[in-house]
Amino acid sequence: MSDTLDHSGLPDDELLAAELALGVLEAAERTAAERRAARDHGFAQLVDEWEQRLAPWAAEIAEVAPPPQLWDRISGDLPEASGPGLWHNLTFWRGLSFAAGALAAACLAALIYVGTLTQQQPLVATIEGGGHRHFVATVDSGRGTVAIVPAGFSSDATRVPELWLIPPDGRPRALGLLRADQTVVLTLPPDLAAFAKSNAVLAVSLEPPGGSTTGLPTGPVIATGKLTSL
Amino acid sequence: MDLDSNRSLIAAALGRIPAGDRAALQTVYRLTSAKLFGVCLRILGERAEAEDVLQEVYVTVWRKAADFDASRASPMTWLIALARNRSIDRLRASRVSRNVDPIDSAAEVADMATPADSALVSVQEHARLHGCLDGLASHERAALRGAFFDGNTYEDLAKRMNVPLGTMKSWIRRAMIKLKACLEQ
Repeated sequence: MSDTLDHSGLPDDELLAAELALGVLEAAERTAAERRAARDHGFAQLVDEWEQRLAPWAAEIAEVAPPPQLWDRISGDLPEASGPGLWHNLTFWRGLSFAAGALAAACLAALIYVGTLTQQQPLVATIEGGGHRHFVATVDSGRGTVAIVPAGFSSDATRVPELWLIPPDGRPRALGLLRADQTVVLTLPPDLAAFAKSNAVLAVSLEPPGGSTTGLPTGPVIATGKLTSL
Repeated sequence: MDLDSNRSLIAAALGRIPAGDRAALQTVYRLTSAKLFGVCLRILGERAEAEDVLQEVYVTVWRKAADFDASRASPMTWLIALARNRSIDRLRASRVSRNVDPIDSAAEVADMATPADSALVSVQEHARLHGCLDGLASHERAALRGAFFDGNTYEDLAKRMNVPLGTMKSWIRRAMIKLKACLEQ
């Protein structure tokens, strides 16, 4: 299309990518462009770039809470298996090698701790956020304790890390404050011990010194991890 | 929660979804569903349609989370684009009601420039985009707004602004190249 350059000065592909990202194409042209993006990596990249240019505009759109039952609909609509699994997830391995040094040290410390555990099978969680592994947690169900080893967590002068257990009901329960410089062993309150099992989530939020006083995280949740059997 | 914490939390949760972690999807949902529902509702205009599309969006997130590359895009950019694309696909497929009221670009002085939130979308990125949009002619900006917020096609926009289709295409194309040049400065 020789007239395209006269109109815009953009190459045809880039123009089509912009039109797809903006959303001005009619149904048939749009479907064709979407199919092309699915098989042509270079074109898909141009579409991504346009989406990134335009996305900040969405800041002007006010948030609207969806109806509470919508999550149940979504949850019931999920196919069992998703994608190729963590083992094949390149991002996971890239992240892992990035944090490998600190993590190896933390795992070693956690393993030494595991050596002292009672008979029951220990549960571990790598607590990560923002592409970094911050802590490694080990739960000793027999003793009702959780040991948290700092992996790559750097503290902040004004806030302290607080550990939360998030059972399947989604409501965080406070477990205690953590340290950036040493392993902390926390006792699980008896009413929470039953929740500290496989697939429960541990989360770390940043709280004012002394921890949250509301019973829920008041600062940002910076890292989370799921308990799994070792 | 602030922007950076939210972004890293969302990116970390997206990273756990390919392993089949439903709690991670729920975390993404909890943090982003109000924003994405706002986007779907803005484009589709009807709650029932917007709910259906939002459901599709999160099922797609579950299936395609492995495609999200944190080194290339922010998680919100990826999610917002997904919500917009699915909403526009729905509009094109069903031709449900959408905003086709006439646009008078000369009268559009009260171009909304205030971000509705700063917890998920960067105020700086919004201000930068807005600075570049302000550099466009008012008819170009009005046409882009109609496309972005109302999901309008070239044809819808030509009707709304009462110009021939060819004119609308050149307005949008010119506006896009100006926008790109400005954002790359």
